[in-house]
Amino acid sequence: MIRVRPVLEYGAAFAVLVTAWWYASGPMGMPPYLLPSPQATVLALVREASTGSLAGHLAFTLRSIALGLALGAVAGVALAYVLYRVPLLSTLLDGPLVVLQSAPKIALAPLFVVWFGLGLEAKLALVFSLVFFPVLIGALAGLRAIDPRLHDIAALLRLGAIRRFAAIDLPAALPGIFVGLKVGGVQALVGAILAEWISGDRGLGFLMTFAAATYRAPLLFGAVLLTALLGVALHVALGLAERRLLAWNDADER
Amino acid sequence: MPRAPLDRRGADGDVIEIDGISKVFQLRGKSVPALEPLTHAVPEGRFVAVVGPSGCGKSTLLRLIAGLETPTSGTIRLGAGPVKRPVGFVFQDAVLLPWKSVEANIRFPLDTAGVERARADAVVRELVALVGLRGFEQTLPRQLSGGMRQRAAIARALADDPPILLMDEPFSAVDLLTRETLNDELLRIWQRTGKTVMLVTHSVEEAAYLADEVMVMSARPGRLERTYAIGLPRPRSEETKLDRAYHELVAALRRDLRGGEAAR
Repeated sequence: MIRVRPVLEYGAAFAVLVTAWWYASGPMGMPPYLLPSPQATVLALVREASTGSLAGHLAFTLRSIALGLALGAVAGVALAYVLYRVPLLSTLLDGPLVVLQSAPKIALAPLFVVWFGLGLEAKLALVFSLVFFPVLIGALAGLRAIDPRLHDIAALLRLGAIRRFAAIDLPAALPGIFVGLKVGGVQALVGAILAEWISGDRGLGFLMTFAAATYRAPLLFGAVLLTALLGVALHVALGLAERRLLAWNDADER
Repeated sequence: MPRAPLDRRGADGDVIEIDGISKVFQLRGKSVPALEPLTHAVPEGRFVAVVGPSGCGKSTLLRLIAGLETPTSGTIRLGAGPVKRPVGFVFQDAVLLPWKSVEANIRFPLDTAGVERARADAVVRELVALVGLRGFEQTLPRQLSGGMRQRAAIARALADDPPILLMDEPFSAVDLLTRETLNDELLRIWQRTGKTVMLVTHSVEEAAYLADEVMVMSARPGRLERTYAIGLPRPRSEETKLDRAYHELVAALRRDLRGGEAAR
């Protein structure tokens, strides 16, 4: 169920942007090594796609984002739940977690390469670390905001720990988890691209560094464009999932 | 209905036997007594109302009976026979699961009890009709009025057919007119189902109108002050509220509450 209005708005904004781009690169006469035209950019992408390498790069980036997002979300929710159920642990871990959370994970990227090598693992590690903390914080906030009387219901119905989690705690904390996921989603993209810049021979980030190193501005622009589109797609996908799962929580709906 | 003597210890046919139960809360290292030792028994099918000022421990008493709090001393026995879940509980505001529809909320206790689908469907249909929510099965709680949410909560409390229904100020969050309607519906449901009901309320009128027996509690320390047997004829209706006996009872209850320390 995609509403027409936001699609139109996105479309209009996109059209304005492309027109401005075209104007700057054509009539305005920016040199193509600084600003390739939209046509040249698309052509570069098509050429790259026709060799089959573009799909590989895209798939690689998508995979590290999707896996990192999924693992980070599951781990974030899991630790949040443990901290929520074991207050003692939460007192002990609060300090260390704040330190870890505020440490710039991006700066650890080279370290992840040293630890995990040039393949998928290093990218996953970075994306994971970027997703994990926002989801942890969001889930914890969501869990701590649960109406305690919902737990009275659980006690009255004699729900076991697993059923209580699945039937009450998880759905009740979902709005908080989604706050974390949306922050994490943006971070995941940044993390994946950045990790590919640093090392490896695949992914959109690699394509950018490769294009820049070989002075292929149109291809560089193409990769940037794809990355931006990927960001939009990620945003839309999370938004749709949220709307589907959290319709009950939509305060604006009449 | 023949009336058993009040303020007695348990006997056959009792479904709630409270024996010397008390509760002391620990708040920041301080002991706060909420309920003095209390002994009481409720026979099957009786409608009991509990009135008292704020802080008299009436909600604590209900939560103790429901097993939501652990007593500091004393014991509670529930149910005439072995029942899987002896009590249904209705909170002050409905406390429905906000992500579930009315129907799914009512079905929730049946799902957790593993009741088979076809039977659960039939029970839910029946309960939806009983509480007058037909046509709202797929509605989400936040789209309902407070009164309708409370109807759904009552249906949920009745879903797996517990012999005892505990209600903690169930109608204090709805407007007066709705409250009177819900009172009559509650009486109708009670008469249909034959549940033993224990209802905590601030309203002495509500207590006198609904109950067979009113427990009056006093505050600080919370304890049972006295009990009244209500002999008003049933079924009760607007007529009841014109009855002289009803008004005398309401006046007596109010006196007790105002006096705080009513003479025994």
